[in-house]
Amino acid sequence: MSERIYLLPLWLRLWHWSNAVLIITLAVTGFSLHFADPALPLVEFSLARRIHDLAGLSLAALYTFFVVANIVSGNWWQYVPKPPGVLARCWRQARFYGYGIFRGEAHPYPPTREANFNALQALVYWFIMYLVLPVVVVTGLVFMFPQFAPDQMFGFDGLLPVAMLHYLAGTVIVLFMCAHIYLGTTGVTVTSLFKMMVTGWHEH
Amino acid sequence: MGLGNLLRRVTVVAGFCLALLLAGPVQAQTDAKPIDPELIEKIRKANAECFACHTEGGLKAPPVAGMDMAKLADLLVDPAVYSHSYHGNMDCKQCHGQGYVPFPHAAGAAKQVSPCEECHAVKVFKVDQQFDKSVHAQNLKGKMSCASCHDPHVAQVAAKIGDPKAIVAQDNAMCLDCHNSDLRFAQFAPEKLSLKRKRPDIDTIHAWLPNTKLHWGAVRCIECHTPEAKTQSHEIVNKDKAQKNCVACHSTASSLKTRLYRHLATAEQQRYGFANSIILKTSYVVGATRHPVVDAAILALVGLTVAGLLGHGMVRLVLAWIRRRRSP
Repeated sequence: MSERIYLLPLWLRLWHWSNAVLIITLAVTGFSLHFADPALPLVEFSLARRIHDLAGLSLAALYTFFVVANIVSGNWWQYVPKPPGVLARCWRQARFYGYGIFRGEAHPYPPTREANFNALQALVYWFIMYLVLPVVVVTGLVFMFPQFAPDQMFGFDGLLPVAMLHYLAGTVIVLFMCAHIYLGTTGVTVTSLFKMMVTGWHEH
Repeated sequence: MGLGNLLRRVTVVAGFCLALLLAGPVQAQTDAKPIDPELIEKIRKANAECFACHTEGGLKAPPVAGMDMAKLADLLVDPAVYSHSYHGNMDCKQCHGQGYVPFPHAAGAAKQVSPCEECHAVKVFKVDQQFDKSVHAQNLKGKMSCASCHDPHVAQVAAKIGDPKAIVAQDNAMCLDCHNSDLRFAQFAPEKLSLKRKRPDIDTIHAWLPNTKLHWGAVRCIECHTPEAKTQSHEIVNKDKAQKNCVACHSTASSLKTRLYRHLATAEQQRYGFANSIILKTSYVVGATRHPVVDAAILALVGLTVAGLLGHGMVRLVLAWIRRRRSP
């Protein structure tokens, strides 16, 4: 019988899944808008626009909730990699994903109540949640209200740098999401980490 | 077809034939070669005589007594605007009858205006065929002329304006002058209005269009209200036939480059590698102003990531299977 610890409170799980639904919706509709092609419509343009706007505003609200809830609950501390030896622990974790995992080795840093994330996880999550996602949200809002964009930049319309940042930051989120979903299969069983995100209980 | 309309058609066809015969002079007109400065000065002086009365200044301080001031108030021209219009170097009397005499003008002189086809025969011949299919021709038979939209004292040639936003401002003003004015709308289509039925509010009927105001500042009404297949047409269509296919503009094959931006077609199209970079100079158009290299790099990155993750998973599965088989 494996050991279980309660790691994730309800608000965090609800936020996580709402965030996941919104990110997937935004990625699909964002792709449809950017790669709009009369011959290959993934989601029809005007429908994609309506969904993307609505999901975008919801994400902005949800992100605000995430930041506030993290401050209030103290969960923000989980995202801070604790020295000393952060890089060494990151390297050990990366080596595990690139080598040890194939040999069936155990996770080098299994989660505890005090440290939900390993050092690599904390760094990447911090980068995504506190650096990349705010860029996506803010540039998305400027995109929605383009009167706040600069008129001209580098001889082009001022919306261009906003749009490029939105596109590139959005791509980083999508790349992270792919890796994140895949790494979700690396628990004791393929589904155990997904179950944890539903129930809040982590299985060692 | 009424007699008036028939006569107009005959005039247009005759003018068209004449234009073909006299291709040289017509060509000279369209090529807009520099005009002799002395001739321009002569025209300015001649026009100044007209502007002495037919301007705001003339209305305030009429140089001649005995004029019908209410009538004059409807016949004013702004000389500064006129001089920048596409007719700006023309003598007023070129259109308003060589037989004009100084005030008091001959009876009915106001109606003796040369028809546009007298100079623009080829254009009118083409435009007439498109216009006949338009909602204006169908609903306002005989009420509209070229000048109803193209004020000959004001309008400029789009190619000469150059800046797409200025072209948009000029062209949309032509539509909105009536479609956003109760007074003008009632002049043309009083039967469409009643105590219960008012002029459709332009904002309300376009509420479906995202960032409506932004669209109106960036594209012309005719971008959607003319058939998509044509680059330029006077076949204005109503809401039932108007373009609602966003990707007509919002795609790399954006029709904007052959419509609004066609005057800039000779300018570079691939600045810094962007598709439709000529549009990007004034507007970022989602789906149209993309960078093919950035797009390809991003798609490749996502593809490689997914392939890498799937590959990692496959190796994990196979090795786990081998381990299970080897374990006692």
